[in-house]
Amino acid sequence: MQASINVNSNDRQTVLVCCGTGCTANGGREVFKTFETLLKDHAEIELLPVIKATGCNGWCEKGPLVRLLPRDITYCSVAPEDVSEIIDKTLIEGILIKRLLYRDPVSKEYLSSHHQTDFYRKQHKIALRNIGEIDPGQIDDYIEREGYQALKKALQEMSGQDIINIVQAAGLRGRGGGGFPTGRKWQACKNASGEEKFIICNGDEGDPGAFMDRSILEGDPHTIIEGMILGAYAVGASRGYVYVRDEYDLAVQNLGQAIGNARQRGYLGNSILGSDLAFDIEIVRGGGAFVCGEETALIASIEGRTGEPHDKYVFPTEKGLWGMPTVINNVETWANVPVIVLHGAEPFARIGTENSKGTKVFSLVGKVVNTGLVEVPMGTTLREVIYEIGGGLLKKRSFKAVQTGGPSGGCIPASLLDLPIDFDSLIEAGSMMGSGGLIVMDDHTCMVEVARYYTNFLAGESCGKCTPCREGLRAQLEILNRICDGEGTIEDLDLLEDISVTMQGASLCALGRTAPNPVLSTLRYFREEYLAHIEERRCPAGVCRALTTFYIDPVKCTGCQVCKKHCSVNAIQGERKEVHVIDESICIRCGECYRQCAFDAVQLRQEELR
Amino acid sequence: MKIMLNGQEREAREGETILEMCRREGVPIPTFCYHQAFGGQGACRMCMVELREEGQEQMRLVAACTYPIKSSVEIITESERIQRLRRTIVMLLARRAPDNPLMEALARTYSSPRLTAIEVEPPNCILCGLCIHACEEMGRTAIWSMFRGIDKRIGTPYDEASEDCIGCAACARICPTQAINLEEEGSTRRIWNKTFDLVACQRCGKHYATREELEYLWERSEYGQEQLCESCRKKTLAINMKSFQQ
Repeated sequence: MQASINVNSNDRQTVLVCCGTGCTANGGREVFKTFETLLKDHAEIELLPVIKATGCNGWCEKGPLVRLLPRDITYCSVAPEDVSEIIDKTLIEGILIKRLLYRDPVSKEYLSSHHQTDFYRKQHKIALRNIGEIDPGQIDDYIEREGYQALKKALQEMSGQDIINIVQAAGLRGRGGGGFPTGRKWQACKNASGEEKFIICNGDEGDPGAFMDRSILEGDPHTIIEGMILGAYAVGASRGYVYVRDEYDLAVQNLGQAIGNARQRGYLGNSILGSDLAFDIEIVRGGGAFVCGEETALIASIEGRTGEPHDKYVFPTEKGLWGMPTVINNVETWANVPVIVLHGAEPFARIGTENSKGTKVFSLVGKVVNTGLVEVPMGTTLREVIYEIGGGLLKKRSFKAVQTGGPSGGCIPASLLDLPIDFDSLIEAGSMMGSGGLIVMDDHTCMVEVARYYTNFLAGESCGKCTPCREGLRAQLEILNRICDGEGTIEDLDLLEDISVTMQGASLCALGRTAPNPVLSTLRYFREEYLAHIEERRCPAGVCRALTTFYIDPVKCTGCQVCKKHCSVNAIQGERKEVHVIDESICIRCGECYRQCAFDAVQLRQEELR
Repeated sequence: MKIMLNGQEREAREGETILEMCRREGVPIPTFCYHQAFGGQGACRMCMVELREEGQEQMRLVAACTYPIKSSVEIITESERIQRLRRTIVMLLARRAPDNPLMEALARTYSSPRLTAIEVEPPNCILCGLCIHACEEMGRTAIWSMFRGIDKRIGTPYDEASEDCIGCAACARICPTQAINLEEEGSTRRIWNKTFDLVACQRCGKHYATREELEYLWERSEYGQEQLCESCRKKTLAINMKSFQQ
């Protein structure tokens, strides 16, 4: 490894400290402040480095991240105590600090830049292009990276129709889940007549484990603003709303600041950049319901009504917010728009598959080595994302399923790992793209319990307006609880399927129509697990407490005491380096010992319980 | 415009819903949450029908009460697919109101299997939402739906006596499963945790409406403040009309 690096660069040094929500929670702000304070005392540095607090890099696993430019060095898990060493050694002397570098788990090599890691190398960033590279509070940072160039180009050379044509030719489809062609949506709104038209950015991200919208709103708010102005110009809208999930405090703060700055520079307001275009944006904080991500419920929520959907036989592009033609697109969709308008349709359309163009941001979480946000071309296989970018499964466990598309998505088994990810192939596999959640599950996961978990989530988050969704989820949840408790019957499986068909066919909105996916996809690919619960009264993964007991294999146990330390009820006895024993009368069957043991010594007693 | 309804050509008015058209044409479609005074809510989903728009290959399911007819579509109101949906919807709703005659009759009609009953509040409520609409239509918002998902239920704010409630009982009268508890004893009425005094009809002496309801109506109407029950009002009206003719 290269121990020292070229210090004779004439470029001014820049310190980028990640202050996304994940890194902030791990002390990123303190690292940023320590840099600010300590650098002031270094009068001997001729040209003081610029320090920037950036948005989320997506590699939250290794945060807080500190990047040093122009040398492109990335330090992982930086603590405030490390800052003075970074200044003295790396910034002044140009020496790399080995212990802060990322070590490739396979090659065991220390990598000086995150761009060399598999996690980043295999990504293709369009929607996330600026995140981690700029300070979201500085409009000039955005402008420096082609910001507002698309808007200038559009106002000087293009008509509204031209923009729609480009977006249509690019093949952009809605990133919020439905995958509706964006250009067609805009055309419908442009053709509709109404006194006023509206643009809405849907930032009500509610899928457990998904955070791409938050990351974009926090880390690159101007791209959303520019995208929305272009949309407004295309369809003839005069006002825009960004509906942000209420919990996203930093996003609201950064976006609010960005809107203010954009107004000052004349990008928003009555005569945008001296043209006739008048458009302004307002932030609406969400009402705290998952269902408000549904277009018609979101509109109801902005209007101040209960966030419940209604039938979409007349699209919002015709009758939307306050009865006026309205375009609603997801955060990630808007983030793609400036790039498409500036560089044309062709470069975008070249990426991806036949019917799904461009890239998609996924939030890769669960039992993988590298978790975080990844942006890959459509058509990338699940295997590439999970094994090459994600680095494979934790603890070298074997892969069981990946849950895609948020709570109402489905679980895809190992046999479909080579499935190219795009809108249509996922639906065919019984799941969906959704907003892009990828939750990786290992062999210690019970698929019946997974279905139960998501059904429970949806039962609480359904708005409860229509019968199939509300009562269907209630009945399915009861059945799944029964099966997990070892009281299920074979007839229950038929009932689950019958209810699912009604939910898919008769529910009012997309939430209800997709809500049976967790049940149907697990029944389709993991039916034997349901049967094991029902017929053999056992949970093959050792998760369902009523159907599982644990014991320690005396041959395999090394007496490392890890299980003992993790047992919350002190049910495990045994001295160091001696065989441990579980006292079943105390054990609550939480399975923590089973998950923690690195030697497979904790095992499931897999006999019939009754 | 011409449309196809169950294989026969029929005339539809542009913009009317499938349900309105079918009711006019005498084609029965079951509903819980529809009332002609409020239009469709699209909540109970009993009225699902199969529909094919021009240029589409497959039939798709739509709610008859909210789908506005705008082009010459093809509609099927009875099929195996629809029967199956209605059977399941009745099965799922009947457990909320297990002993209710309406639900029992529907369960027989659609041969819906019986699931274990669940306790809901108020008992027998199938969450059709008609009571909320009735209250809203009266110009009051005494009751509303609370919570969401499987916890959704209807009630007054914090289940306390609501200032907005005038005891008109429009909610109780519109309820298809008689789920709203309306107690009347002598000159008092009790509904939604609130007790009201009933006013007696000046003509026949029957206690017929709450003071709050009458005052609310008097404020908003040009009619005189006579206190007459419904049948006496009709009778007086008829007598007045007769004397007018003479």
